[in-house]
Amino acid sequence: MSELTWSTKSSRPRITLTPSHGHNNPEDRHMALRLEGSAKETLEQGRNRLVMAGVIFAFCFVILAGRLVGLAISGIGEEDAIASDVDAPPPVAVGESMRAEIRDRNGVLLATTLTTASLFAEPKNIIDPKEVAAKLTTVLDDLSEAAILSKLASAKNFVWLKRNLTPTQQYQVNALGIPGLHFREEEKRFYPMGALVSHVMGFTDVDNHGIAGVEKYFDDQLSGSRDRASQELMLSLDVRIQHALRDELSRHMSIFRAIGAAGMVMDVQTGEILGMVSLPDFDPNRPNDFSGDAKFNRISLGVYEMGSTFKTFTTAMALDMGVVGLQGGYDATDPIRKAGFRIRDDHPKKRWLSVPEIFMYSSNIGAAKMADDVGPKKHKAFLAKLGLLDKPSLEIPELGAPILPPRWNSLETMTISFGHGLSVSPLQLSTGISAIVNGGNYINPTVIRRDKGKLTPVRQVISAKTSDTMRRLMRLVVEKGTGGKASAAGYLVGGKTGTAEKAVGGRYKRDALIASFVSAFPMNDPRYVVFAMLDEPKGNAQTHGFRSAGWTAAPIVGRLISRIGPILSIQPVEEESEAVQKAMFIPINSREKKLASF
Amino acid sequence: MKLNLTVISLVLVAAVSFGLYQLSYEVQELEKDLKALNKSISENKESVRILKAEWTYQNRPDVLQSLASKYLPLLLIAPYQVASVGEVPYPPIDPEQYSVPVPRHNPRRDYTPVTPLPKGAIQLATFTHEGSLQ
Repeated sequence: MSELTWSTKSSRPRITLTPSHGHNNPEDRHMALRLEGSAKETLEQGRNRLVMAGVIFAFCFVILAGRLVGLAISGIGEEDAIASDVDAPPPVAVGESMRAEIRDRNGVLLATTLTTASLFAEPKNIIDPKEVAAKLTTVLDDLSEAAILSKLASAKNFVWLKRNLTPTQQYQVNALGIPGLHFREEEKRFYPMGALVSHVMGFTDVDNHGIAGVEKYFDDQLSGSRDRASQELMLSLDVRIQHALRDELSRHMSIFRAIGAAGMVMDVQTGEILGMVSLPDFDPNRPNDFSGDAKFNRISLGVYEMGSTFKTFTTAMALDMGVVGLQGGYDATDPIRKAGFRIRDDHPKKRWLSVPEIFMYSSNIGAAKMADDVGPKKHKAFLAKLGLLDKPSLEIPELGAPILPPRWNSLETMTISFGHGLSVSPLQLSTGISAIVNGGNYINPTVIRRDKGKLTPVRQVISAKTSDTMRRLMRLVVEKGTGGKASAAGYLVGGKTGTAEKAVGGRYKRDALIASFVSAFPMNDPRYVVFAMLDEPKGNAQTHGFRSAGWTAAPIVGRLISRIGPILSIQPVEEESEAVQKAMFIPINSREKKLASF
Repeated sequence: MKLNLTVISLVLVAAVSFGLYQLSYEVQELEKDLKALNKSISENKESVRILKAEWTYQNRPDVLQSLASKYLPLLLIAPYQVASVGEVPYPPIDPEQYSVPVPRHNPRRDYTPVTPLPKGAIQLATFTHEGSLQ
């Protein structure tokens, strides 16, 4: 009877009824359909559902639109993290996870971490192993073809071919274009200076953890942690001085055919160590290729009976305690016999010697008597004050503790007075000497650069006056005594020789010596202590067969100081000038019977 | 009117969403650039590290020493070669060159030739009352 159609004019659906008989009555045209009963209910329900669905959809779209606006304005939130980095704590030059660099006092790079490529292969994806091996050996010449072939023949999914390629090698391997070869980036600790700073620096293991030297001591600081950025390290070393030291030591080591050598340069005012060399040494880039002997730090870990250099301490002690004055002296005519031991002089003068003479001719008898006058207790306390009886403190883990005699009585005091019976490390000796010459202040040694303004904790061990006398005495040794070969014109070197027989198996070995020379310069205002030591030097024609320190170790110091003096900006002085002679004057008071001179 | 409103709002929605998407894409593009830049910065830093290590390696003191001994006629500095600036003497004056004083300007510039006095008796100048020379 009628047709239901959707009216398109209105947005609201409306059902219109068109009469079938077809006459056009305007009133009838917009006549809405009125439904009653269950039909109306059904329609209402449908409409409600539609509205509900519409609302839900609208809601979803609003959320989507909101999110869209949010995204467009704020982004995904990644650059927020980058932007906040600007306010982050002091920027670290190194990538966050990288081990920090180590530099010398002038900023010269000593250790750095580089990202290197390591080459690995997937043997399953390699088509022709033979060809690959042949091609690779043209680029990586340290790999053998057979070794590569055996690796590629294995049934593994992954084999390392070579770790840590150089950039050039990586480029060349890449250029070969072999499928199945891949690179993986790895961090590698690199020491550009090689063996030059080996012992202080130490080295790291494959995982870049320090296992020796400052690399170990400052491992936490260098590697950093999750909450703390890694921090670079500035050592007190100076590569120029380190090089001069190593150069001179290795030259003299070969001249005198010594089995080892050691040397150090130390600032007496700050305790900074400017150079520390122990030979033979190793290359920290490949520590596994070197023997344990090469890794042994003779300066800090090795303890030796230092010989006559100890007379510096004995003399300083006796003078400081007022046991004997500069005018005083001891009879050194006959060797001392005590408890079955015989203490004698190497070059006996067989007469009474004044204190300056005992020091300058290095008389064991005189030194022994001097120490005996002081007494064992005070002697021990004095050496303890100089840090010679305890393990020293330095920022490297390789530190040797001194070897003390089992008991310390009159005899021990006598032998220790000339450096036998007590083994200390050269580091301790140099620190003690720097305290003797710098005005009597003991300063802890360090391998970390100290700022000039920052005062280091000091303790007074001898009076400034005694220190001044000791400087003159040490200068006297170089000027007129056993250390003449240590003189470096213009730099007023003063020092003390020390020749000790090595104790092997409880007995002193006559043919194995430790020749050492400890010095300071310039003696009118000491700035640096220089120590040099040769392990088992042999005499040669130039030294007339002598192997004592005055012939072997002293020339090292002389050459070294004339090399490093200008680097350390020490103003040379005219040594013969009256002012300098006066400043370095010391009365010798010799009672030597001179031939009558008219 | 109703129609217009609908059309306008539709156009507006389209325009705004187009703008929004455009902005969003731009931001994405910039982010990509930023990421690339950061990557290249870290790559450059890495190459700087390598180059610095290389530079230090090439400048090892023993290498420099061997090069210097090969190419430079330099020996150890002797003490007499060290002096402070105050000790440097002034350059000596070459007597040949500087013995004749050099005038700063032409001495004849202000020179006026002496006019000879007229011959005969010297007449004294007298002043008139007006102050002019007679």
